[in-house]
Amino acid sequence: MASRGANVVLSRANRMKTKLQSALSASLLEIEDVSHQHAGHAAVKGSAGETHFNVKIVSPKFEGQSLVKRHRMVYDALAEELQSGLHAISIVAKTPQETGAK
Amino acid sequence: MAAINLPLIHTPPSIQNFSIKSSQNTSKFFPFSQSNPSPLLSSSFKLYTTAKARASSLIAFAAKNLSESELNSVPETAGEIAGKFPSDAGVYAVYDKEGDVQFIGITRNIAGSVATHWRSVPELCVSVKFGVVDEPDRTNLTQAWKSWMEEHIKVTGKIPPGNESGNATWTRQPPKKKADLRLTPGRHVQLTVPLEELIDQLVKENKVVAFIKGSRSAPMCGFSQRVVGILEAEGVDYESVDVLDEEYNNGLRETLKTYSNWPTFPQIFVDGQLIGGCDILSSMHETGELAGLFKK
Repeated sequence: MASRGANVVLSRANRMKTKLQSALSASLLEIEDVSHQHAGHAAVKGSAGETHFNVKIVSPKFEGQSLVKRHRMVYDALAEELQSGLHAISIVAKTPQETGAK
Repeated sequence: MAAINLPLIHTPPSIQNFSIKSSQNTSKFFPFSQSNPSPLLSSSFKLYTTAKARASSLIAFAAKNLSESELNSVPETAGEIAGKFPSDAGVYAVYDKEGDVQFIGITRNIAGSVATHWRSVPELCVSVKFGVVDEPDRTNLTQAWKSWMEEHIKVTGKIPPGNESGNATWTRQPPKKKADLRLTPGRHVQLTVPLEELIDQLVKENKVVAFIKGSRSAPMCGFSQRVVGILEAEGVDYESVDVLDEEYNNGLRETLKTYSNWPTFPQIFVDGQLIGGCDILSSMHETGELAGLFKK
């Protein structure tokens, strides 16, 4: 998939970071590429890595939202990425208060 | 018998402070716990009436003895059972509505075993006495069980019916894994209703549905595997659908993503509602929310 490779100027992780940051005004945002753990996974054969990520995000916008809603907000922000080969994201989505309470 | 009246050394935690303890224990025991009752003691056993000296040195590991333990009625729902009984290892005795002991067992997870029994024979599982066993290795658990059995036999002269050899009521293994559901009769059969509608029916007609990658007996992705593991640990009756099955679930992946507005798999539905994927299921399992959702 050379053509796609050429288009990827920024790494997917960086693009995800920018998109999540602007969509959710995150006060904490950690993105970890764990694609290597899933190499050889049937569904990702042929794509050039950057398929699986762990995302930890703290945002005031999660306030009052159910877990499903929070995850949807993250997925919505990353819709384009999900259509272009991002396969799975493990999401920890918390509000600033929830992390403070810990 | 002298052995049975020994003073207690280890006192089981009271039910009142259980809520704090349970959260620790859930994580501590979860990977190893078997919520199904241990079958090892059901077949035959020998009384220890002659080996008093040995029994009295070991009985210290047991919790309270049977007659001193409090009788707890079994609540009507799995969620309440999980709230009322500890998920610790220990010995337990199940009483029927006449107040007769039906079965004495040991387990890695008292609440789990009570729930399993209650599901399989609710009419025989009316109330339960239990004793948490500290340092619950097999020896200590077995000793605790022996002491309760001996005490029961001494008082009643009978072996609890469920402990007689050949009685499989209490030790039944969990039912064989169900087959995965198929959404269509095959990819070459023209559907008369849209796939979306089939999904809608499926999730509304079944309480719990997991859309996973691979079959439930051999999930092909780590997240799907975790989901199957959690659902089985909860002991919930669920249906599974393999989204990778191109023959019988052709087109399901794309249609389901749109239907549920959720871009990844696995996906878990309860009462027709998407509750989320692996992350959400895991966190709800840990907080106990999931058990609450299933009990309804």
